[in-house]
Amino acid sequence: MTARGLPLALCLVLLAALGGLVSCSGGGPDTTLRVLASDELSDMKPLLDQLRQDTGVRLDMDYEPTNEASDTLLTGRHSYDLAWLSSDRYLRLKAKRAPAGRTPATGVQSTSIMRSPVVVGLTAQVARKLRGKSPGGRLSWADIADAAATGTVRFGMADPRHSNSGLAALVGVATAAAGTGGALRPTDVSCDRLRGFRSGQTLTADTSHALLDAFAARPGRTNALITYESELLTLNASGRLKQPLQIVHPADGMVLSDYPLLLLDPAQRAAYDRVVAWLTGTGHQRDIMRRTLRRPVSTAVTRDPRLAAPLDNALYFPDDPAVLDRLLADYGDPRRRTADQVIFLLDSSTSMRGARTTALRAAFASLSGADSSATAEFVRFYQGEKLTVVRFGGRPLAERTVTVRRPADLTALEDFVADGGYDGATAVWSALDHGYGTAEQALRADPGHAVSLVLMTDGENNAGIDRASFVSRYRARRADVRAVHTYPLHFGDSDAAELRQVASVTGGRMVDARAQSLSTAFKEIRGCS
Amino acid sequence: MTAFRAETDSPRHSGEPRLKVGAPAVVPPPRSRARRLVPRLVAAATALCAIVVLAQGHAGLPFRRIVTVEAKMASKADYFEDPQVQRLLIRNGLRVHITRMGSRGIATQSYDGYDVVIPSGQPAADLITHKRTDEGHQAAEYAPFFSPIVLGTYREYAETLQDAGIATPLPGTPAGQKPLYYSLNMKKFLRTTADGVRWDRLGLARHGLHNGNQVLAQTSGICDSNSAGTYMGLVSYVWNHDSIPQNPTEATRFADRIRLLFNDQGLSSAGKSRTYASDEGKSEAPIAVIYEHQFLAYQIRAQARTGHVDGERVLLYPSAQIDTEPQLIALTPDGDRLSRLVNDDPALQKRAVELGFRVKDAQVPGATSSAQTRFLRERHIPAPGLSGDDTKAVLPRLGLLERMIEDIGACASVPQGAADGEAP
Repeated sequence: MTARGLPLALCLVLLAALGGLVSCSGGGPDTTLRVLASDELSDMKPLLDQLRQDTGVRLDMDYEPTNEASDTLLTGRHSYDLAWLSSDRYLRLKAKRAPAGRTPATGVQSTSIMRSPVVVGLTAQVARKLRGKSPGGRLSWADIADAAATGTVRFGMADPRHSNSGLAALVGVATAAAGTGGALRPTDVSCDRLRGFRSGQTLTADTSHALLDAFAARPGRTNALITYESELLTLNASGRLKQPLQIVHPADGMVLSDYPLLLLDPAQRAAYDRVVAWLTGTGHQRDIMRRTLRRPVSTAVTRDPRLAAPLDNALYFPDDPAVLDRLLADYGDPRRRTADQVIFLLDSSTSMRGARTTALRAAFASLSGADSSATAEFVRFYQGEKLTVVRFGGRPLAERTVTVRRPADLTALEDFVADGGYDGATAVWSALDHGYGTAEQALRADPGHAVSLVLMTDGENNAGIDRASFVSRYRARRADVRAVHTYPLHFGDSDAAELRQVASVTGGRMVDARAQSLSTAFKEIRGCS
Repeated sequence: MTAFRAETDSPRHSGEPRLKVGAPAVVPPPRSRARRLVPRLVAAATALCAIVVLAQGHAGLPFRRIVTVEAKMASKADYFEDPQVQRLLIRNGLRVHITRMGSRGIATQSYDGYDVVIPSGQPAADLITHKRTDEGHQAAEYAPFFSPIVLGTYREYAETLQDAGIATPLPGTPAGQKPLYYSLNMKKFLRTTADGVRWDRLGLARHGLHNGNQVLAQTSGICDSNSAGTYMGLVSYVWNHDSIPQNPTEATRFADRIRLLFNDQGLSSAGKSRTYASDEGKSEAPIAVIYEHQFLAYQIRAQARTGHVDGERVLLYPSAQIDTEPQLIALTPDGDRLSRLVNDDPALQKRAVELGFRVKDAQVPGATSSAQTRFLRERHIPAPGLSGDDTKAVLPRLGLLERMIEDIGACASVPQGAADGEAP
């Protein structure tokens, strides 16, 4: 160093020393920002005190479940300077619906602060059981759905109508169920493939924190939790559980949340910049990781070993608000589960004898758990579901209803489906009329539960009432009975035009079971109602 | 040392992360006695130091006010956030305060209060200049550097594409090393997307990963981002047999044909290059549409930090290429001063190369910037061995490109001057 450099060096030393003392000023005036935040971010509180000391910016936080916070923002009637959401996807999707010319405030600046995927935590016992069933041990949402349908997995999940973790889980499961490898489109969710999955839900809450508390307070009844990886790791580390949950990153993909900090009021730009700089600085990113077990956005931070494992693929999030509406409507209120009922009208004319009946039996078996493909795992018969089988020829021959409780119930149904006793004639319209009678009884006994009809025939109508008579009788029924859709399967020598009419009169859809197996056709209409 | 100079003469504090040392202009409100005193001490010391520094004969630096230029920009913030660029600008009396948003987003919003806007490419720039002209303002434009649209990916994905005959390593990989650059056969790649092929079916598992998603390139939001809009234009060019639409009817038809190649990625998020560099990038967006300069800047940083490039992250050059030219559009005299400086100053141009940009190279016509190649070689970073005979994709005329963007992304339209769209 030259002589000339000496005073400079002294200056540096002096400045560095003093700079350390006043790092609290952070280079800006003290200010308070009003922040609307996802309730999940309340775990950042201790860091916010430090943030205030370092930057002079006090964040005055209001916590709401993410989707409600987003709805508040969308009204435009609020006085918040910033929003800090677990994810802004719900906000951005809903904002697409805003009338043209009016852009709701989805933030003028947005910075992702951290990340966490929504994953599954399983008790050791149920994890062992599931891993035993899937050699290789890579569990998927399909496996979870399958185990939920049989009652093996009894899970807790936050209400997707309110909570981001619930919504991310719902989108994740639904995307896996659609199995297209792309973002969900309206056609992918026209039938509800999550009924089996949903039948395994035994615990819910409006927020993911409340969900965790409820789970920790009442262990035993629920043996799985679907929520953020960070919250599961935190719960495991808290000592509140006798045995930690095993964390499964579903092999068919997951939805990541990225906790964006949004600037709403452009006038607060300088303070926003200071907050972002602080939160994304390497040291504070490390603190965030240690405290919350979320994944840092900073690549300079050495990962906690629990967060070091690379994730498999993230799932694409739908960009059509109608998809979200449909998913939420179908999932409904997690606290109120109604049993669904399917009434199968099965042609038992003599032409069904032999190979066709074998195929039919196989189709029922595959929906009863014999088929381990991902599609079948989602759409299988599930606990609590009511299944009615009507065998018909020239008239209804026999009828059997089971409510699924145990595997034996389904075996009994398979036997019934293939139980000989054929008839020479085919009375399609009479059978259908009988089906609507059964539906009417069911709806009278339990109003509001979802009922649908599946009509499988391999021949043309040659007995009983004609189409016009059926239609006039159908039209005379109560509104909720008319709302029961019929899904005809075109099979053997049945009359496609006739079946298409059945579908169109009742609001259902015909599926061609000739180009594909009967099992595949049955799977295609599962969840449609 | 220059860094300290930068702090001391800040009239307006912009709150950037690096500027930690006390800014004398703003004294925090009283807390305790000691706390009141400390900032004053710092201020005094800072002022003293400033005088020392200035008096020490940095002749190039006149005593003058530092002007803060308000700038709206997208990905070119990568350049203006660079500490060395900031130092070079301060030396010329300028500081840039950045508001980040997508390029097309810049075009759709008001420019009030801004001195310069810097969209990442020509289409958004044209939207802005047309709008300015319509409003009766002048807008000087500068295009100091350029960068091709590329697809950032990861080793396993590139090798899977190579196995499938969709990607080929570019020539010039040093012996014994794995390639850093590949050429992506766009026709085959888009065909794979159109067929709905999943990564698992393409054999990704042979490279140790699992991914059930469709093979596609993820972009930032097409309504906001220049890279997404430009990539859309590139896809349209390739998918429609190396042609561009000539009228609105054709534009709609072309857009319809490529819609599905885009919409399967669903809701897109901004800042693909940040995601790409992050640890979760491989799972969130295994193929991300970015700019070449972002990839090179990442590798230059990696090389400086660790002594070698990050061999996990590799680049796919689309077989039909499009260069993007960021435009500095000056709205005020201060904005013009900044733009001219970035355009003309050799040190700032040199720094652009060090940040991965290509600069106009008078000696060597054509796409490859020899300055860039030279710089990468000096840093022992392989340079992309692009051959000159790659197809150049062509973007449709602005009005038609806009129509396609609106169609595909269901985006709000940007009011345009009457001049474009229909006329040849």
